[in-house]
Amino acid sequence: MRFMKKVACGVFVLSFAFLMSCEKKEGGSIPRNETLWLAGSQWGDPNTFNPLVEPWLVAWPVNDRFNLMYEPLIAYNSLTGANEPMLGTLISHDTEKIVVEMQPEAEWSDGKKVTSTDVKFIYELGRRFSHPVFSGFGEFISEITVDTVNAKELVTFVVNKEDRNNPLAILDMLQAIRIAPAHVFEQYLADNDNDFNKTKDIKCDKDPVVSGPYTLIDYNNERIILKRRDDYWGNKVLYDGKLPVPKYIVHPIYKNNDNFAVNLQKGNLDASMNYIPRIDEKRKEGVSTWYNAPPYYVPGSIHFLYLNNTKAPLSDKNFRRAVAAAIDYAAISRRALSNYAPEMKPGLIMHSGLEKKFYDEAEVVKHSVPLGDKEFAKKLLEQSGYKPVFDDKDVLKHTLDPSGNILQPISIKAPSGWSDWESIVKMVVEQLRSVGIDARTGFVDGGQYWTSLPSGDFDMIMRKPPIAVTASTPWSRFNAVLSSRNWVPASGGSNMYENEGRYNNPSDPSYNPRVEELLKAIPLIVDQDSLKAAYVELNNIFLEDQPVIPVCHLPEEYYQFSTKVWVGWPTEKSPFAPPQLPWVGVGRNTLWRLELAGK
Amino acid sequence: MLKKYPTVRYISQRAIWYFLTFLIALSLNFFLPRFGSDPVDTMMAQAAGGLSLEKAKEMEEGLRLSYGLIVVDKQGNIVRDTVIKIDTVVVRDTIFTTVKESVADSLGNALVNERREIESIVLRETLIERPEAVARKASVVSQLFNYIRQVFKGDLGKSFENGKPVSEIILQALPWTLALQFPAILLGWIFGNSLGALAAYKRGVFDKALFPFALLMSSVPFFVFGMALVYFFGIIWEFFPVAGGVDKSLLSPNFFEFISSAAYHYVLPFFSIFLILAGGQAIGMRSMGIYELGTDYIKYAKWLGLKETRVLAYLFRNAMLPQLTGLALSIGQMVGGALITEMIFSYPGLGFAMLNAITSNDYPVIQGVTLLITTSVLLANFTVDILIALLDPRVKASLSMDSK
Repeated sequence: MRFMKKVACGVFVLSFAFLMSCEKKEGGSIPRNETLWLAGSQWGDPNTFNPLVEPWLVAWPVNDRFNLMYEPLIAYNSLTGANEPMLGTLISHDTEKIVVEMQPEAEWSDGKKVTSTDVKFIYELGRRFSHPVFSGFGEFISEITVDTVNAKELVTFVVNKEDRNNPLAILDMLQAIRIAPAHVFEQYLADNDNDFNKTKDIKCDKDPVVSGPYTLIDYNNERIILKRRDDYWGNKVLYDGKLPVPKYIVHPIYKNNDNFAVNLQKGNLDASMNYIPRIDEKRKEGVSTWYNAPPYYVPGSIHFLYLNNTKAPLSDKNFRRAVAAAIDYAAISRRALSNYAPEMKPGLIMHSGLEKKFYDEAEVVKHSVPLGDKEFAKKLLEQSGYKPVFDDKDVLKHTLDPSGNILQPISIKAPSGWSDWESIVKMVVEQLRSVGIDARTGFVDGGQYWTSLPSGDFDMIMRKPPIAVTASTPWSRFNAVLSSRNWVPASGGSNMYENEGRYNNPSDPSYNPRVEELLKAIPLIVDQDSLKAAYVELNNIFLEDQPVIPVCHLPEEYYQFSTKVWVGWPTEKSPFAPPQLPWVGVGRNTLWRLELAGK
Repeated sequence: MLKKYPTVRYISQRAIWYFLTFLIALSLNFFLPRFGSDPVDTMMAQAAGGLSLEKAKEMEEGLRLSYGLIVVDKQGNIVRDTVIKIDTVVVRDTIFTTVKESVADSLGNALVNERREIESIVLRETLIERPEAVARKASVVSQLFNYIRQVFKGDLGKSFENGKPVSEIILQALPWTLALQFPAILLGWIFGNSLGALAAYKRGVFDKALFPFALLMSSVPFFVFGMALVYFFGIIWEFFPVAGGVDKSLLSPNFFEFISSAAYHYVLPFFSIFLILAGGQAIGMRSMGIYELGTDYIKYAKWLGLKETRVLAYLFRNAMLPQLTGLALSIGQMVGGALITEMIFSYPGLGFAMLNAITSNDYPVIQGVTLLITTSVLLANFTVDILIALLDPRVKASLSMDSK
């Protein structure tokens, strides 16, 4: 027994010694009043911080539109629609080319200037090596040219007229693609005999060469710590010589959703970007949101029910319209979404924010079915020949199609465990059954969900297209929902990554070529009136055909913050930055405005 | 040939059986995550929006290649097969129909029957065959053999989530799990058994106080107990941290800072295992002890007037045998049992890594951890078998009987 004890002690000490060996020696815990604690962008174990690695494998803050370590040329402000300067300034953009002027003062943390060489390196990397993100640039950009005028570099992105012919998508890229130091990575490539995969294996986690206001100093599987770079070039150029207020930014890695709410309320966490139900009840604990009243958050994305447009009865336009009319959207927002979804209006254009200028209430009312109108839905079904059959207890048995055959129950798929979507689906099923449509829930494992989506293996499925609020919204939303540019049948085992419901089959007699025409034309329209006309026309086609059902307007990112330690967060009343965590896009401007509470 | 050495024969027989079980477990471990879903599809659906068909296909092949799901030749090129795909296309046919028309004169009398041809367009669906080069998928059997080969080389693959080698993830998480579970199980076992033996021997007030408490501890599900600890000691009274293995704001701490922070975070998860386990062990030991007290040898020892501690030692030794088996088993299962404890306390060990992998369908990590669980359970059982053969005189005797 004594031996066993010794073994136990040995293992105990050894294992801690092992853990210790991973740590650097500097000492101390970072002071709370100099540290901003933010969470919600890193869920797994951080592994690499290499900006050339596929974005889904890279850790925060290198993986997405986080502008703390690496910066893009410009940043889109989702509140004002402006393209704000970062490493460059947007000089002009038209249907032929986009011109960006490089910031002459911008420099890397090793003292070298950020130049057009760095820009060309990342945008042309896809020509040298196969990369799932960078390789696609050639479809949009035919050429990048550099002119030097008055010692200032002008970088011109020429729109690829032959291929995509889409200047809007290039604007999106300019704010999504962060510039990496070419001199560093060319050296890595040279050291590795030009082997791109070996270069991607470099983790870039020790003294990385960055251009942004913060840099990585430590990480493990529980948190990532960034430290302020006091010699950041942008403090002088972009922020009137001020420093960002917090000296450290810590991203704790929580796996359990409850940790967010608990730590926000206890003041251990300053802001987070995840879904927390009933946020209003947390207000007395010092947790706030953009608005003080419902919907609390700023809506930015639409969650949809995708319908399989190639499978009866959902191939019938009238049936789809009946589904849209039957759903009680207000009840869904109230009961499933803690009132986070504002009043639902039909169509793909939001009636709030910057998109509002394209929204035409009169046209929408003319072309849409009335939402949440059960009697209308019942009548439409009856007129189209569908007949519900009830048993003697008045419970729906099944639905008959126009030729009198029993319809298979419509299964509504959603990934199991996504509680907000699960409750939406449950309510939709209940509402569809009440108008006589035989529907049932189909909760599937996450992996199965992602497999059935692109292959079209569903009747109805919950879906949020991966679209950020950028310069190209709402075009990007229309494109994701309606485009049949890459249309392939669901049966052949081929995948579609947009329009997964397979609307508007180009080889079908009912094909409407106008949809593709408008999708191609909109990115090239400059005149605002014609732009609105084009959007309205496309939206009308959508409303008539109803290929998918918009279910609720929810925020692009949830943004809630605690005022226990830091105050001065952007809100409806003080909208100096968009409702984003201070690391996304221009949301980082918040870092220069925060103050300690009680000061 | 080993007849002379019954124990060696027994052990080698056991070893062969355990190895076979291990191989079957390995194959099962390989097949289980391959039912139904595919990680590449998940990634594609999230990342491939807006790509052209060719680019999407290229990206998909790249991903499959990196996970060893498609076949490559010796030069590392993807082997492609030509597959005939059948597509439905709609053809427009022009049809001419001949019709007769009556032409009437102004008075309404039929005069002539005129023949006319009417042109009309009819749409018709037809099937066309289209050859397409498709990357050859690695067959399940070759994937299996490849997997087994890699496992014996110590290569457990790379995480789908972040590209980190699975062996690295396990090595990083294992010390936390061991440091939490091993002392908790061992101390809980020693503490529980000592209390149980004492209660059986002493009876009276001590037993009456201990027994209900131990019974309560052993019957509370350990996750409920863990959650109650978090709620009261972490959230309400704030005595101990709610989550994590060490203070997240520690920046490159020295040894003592690290140990003290880790110890502070260690208290709640430790007691959530320790108390429950001790309770169960005390109950078991108490009833074993009471049974042993009635046996002849204890009565004899007491009658001889041996010292109380001496009698207690005999009692403990004999009542301990089944408890020892239990200890070995719970040490074997500690990796798997860690899952829920670590989930409740967000403790950065193996169970946590496993949970994280399950939620993101990260199959290589799931497989790696389950393999470790399987191996440790098998090893623990094997050790128990050997220990019993060596320690239990009854088993020893029966072994040598067999060989005669």
